[in-house]
Amino acid sequence: MVDKEKCTGCHQCELWCGTEIASTSKDLARAIQETPQPVPRVYVEGKPFALQCRHCEEAPCLDACPNGTMRRDPETGLVYVNEPTCIACWMCVMVCPFGIINPSSSLKVAVKCDRCKNMGYPICAEVCPTGALSLVERKDYRKKKF
Amino acid sequence: MRYIIIGGSAAAISAVESIRSLDRESPIDLFSDEETPLFSRVLLPYYVAEELSKPLLNFRTSDFFEENRVTAHMGVKVTDLNPKTKTIKASDGKQYGYDKLLLATGGRAIIPPIPGIDKEGISTLKTMADAERIYNMKGKRAVVIGAGSIGVEACISLTRRGIKATLLEQLGQVMPTVFDAEAAAIVRKRIEDLGIEVFTGEKAVQFKGDKRVTGVVTDNRDLPCDMVILSVGVRPQTELAVQAGLAIGDMKGIRVDETMMTSVPDIYAAGDVAETHDIARDTWFLNAIWPCAFEQGHYAGLNMAGRKTAYPGSYRRNSIGNFIGIPAISMGVTAAESCAMVSDEDEFREIRVRTKESYKKLVLKNGKIVGAILVGQTQKAGLMSILLRKQVYVADSIPLLMSDRLSFMDLLPILRRNADQFSEPEYKELMDTGL
Repeated sequence: MVDKEKCTGCHQCELWCGTEIASTSKDLARAIQETPQPVPRVYVEGKPFALQCRHCEEAPCLDACPNGTMRRDPETGLVYVNEPTCIACWMCVMVCPFGIINPSSSLKVAVKCDRCKNMGYPICAEVCPTGALSLVERKDYRKKKF
Repeated sequence: MRYIIIGGSAAAISAVESIRSLDRESPIDLFSDEETPLFSRVLLPYYVAEELSKPLLNFRTSDFFEENRVTAHMGVKVTDLNPKTKTIKASDGKQYGYDKLLLATGGRAIIPPIPGIDKEGISTLKTMADAERIYNMKGKRAVVIGAGSIGVEACISLTRRGIKATLLEQLGQVMPTVFDAEAAAIVRKRIEDLGIEVFTGEKAVQFKGDKRVTGVVTDNRDLPCDMVILSVGVRPQTELAVQAGLAIGDMKGIRVDETMMTSVPDIYAAGDVAETHDIARDTWFLNAIWPCAFEQGHYAGLNMAGRKTAYPGSYRRNSIGNFIGIPAISMGVTAAESCAMVSDEDEFREIRVRTKESYKKLVLKNGKIVGAILVGQTQKAGLMSILLRKQVYVADSIPLLMSDRLSFMDLLPILRRNADQFSEPEYKELMDTGL
């Protein structure tokens, strides 16, 4: 979750999401020179607030994906892109109400937050200097258990 | 409870998933006239292009039927539907009974009545058999008739295989149901840059050749070719519905209510065969697209399994993906003129922004979005999609919506104004930030 009182809009989460998750070098100075340019999966736009995939209960991207590339992890409920099978049709982009799926024309895959499901802890929360980003269960909002 | 599902594509599979989310036990029998299970029709052009092999066309894993305990009758055609006895007859000679039945029979490619249409080397691109036929066709030159999504993708697929393709469209622009003239011009330029010849406003009047097609005669010229692909549209497959006496709509689809039920109790319809309420057009419409089929299958499945859930309605959405090198997405109506049933009180408005690399257009009816086209910059297309779906007043936020820097967070005031329509937890979470 994001604590908007603490978010200063510093874009650190974007920077490190792009570096740690998307780049091949995993080094900020080198990452910014990489081609294709690494893209972050979290967005600080308009307001001081880090917006990433909401992993919707009724996720429209899951309905729109024509070949099962967009998947929901049955244990965690997280929605993720199975990159090897993505055919870059951008149907998920077309329906995502939050606009957080990046149609990466250079990578030819849909890029979105999977809450760092392979890393244990999300990098955006780890690097947030004010502690505005943190990983907590929001049971009060989400009634559905996956 | 015994479920029967007729059809095996998006709507059918989505219905299975929804039924099983509520009912793990009851038997489900699924009938499909396709031999190949679980392949995605919209990916057939990728198969023709040699970009995806057969296993990669699947949209669910091969153990799907087993996992969901579905008895799948592949390659079996349902020949008779009797709502009185609640039974069907199938091409395997057997009779099956049901308590709830779903017609997800989809569409059939239209074969235009042009002289010489039955020659060899002429094919539609709708079924797996079609895709295999086209893939195996020998020759160097192809004419594709009909510049809709499938036609354009077919052309590009053939070009990628080294076949010289010509695209023929009788209306004045490419993708006439998807884009307005301006967006179509951008798309056309991209298609031509790939080496594809495009003729619009031109009609095929005859096919040349003895047994095999050797050319297409149009009202303007002769186009020699070795193969022809027909992509002039699809029609709902309603034979069973008609025979069973179900209500058929003006667009020849099966009429369904909010629960996806047809005019006959316990028979439901979903997908390309179903005529539903179109949110953007505010009338009955056939939206034969993948996301609608999946959504409708979902609602049909829930209702069939006993959870009354109202389908909010359909609206057209198309994305041409990476095929032409730039993303292009379109939804709802493409122009104010294409809105049906315009009353004198309705006020229409179109807003356009064109830059060198991008194009964005919104169509508003009474201050609400009924259509959007985005070319080049498309990441925020889904924001337009949700505003269209929920039909909220946005006329006072036009500069924001047309801005390149639009973020979902900027929409929060609009959402709060319509909080009753944005009750999903995902929206609540963000509205409650107070931003």
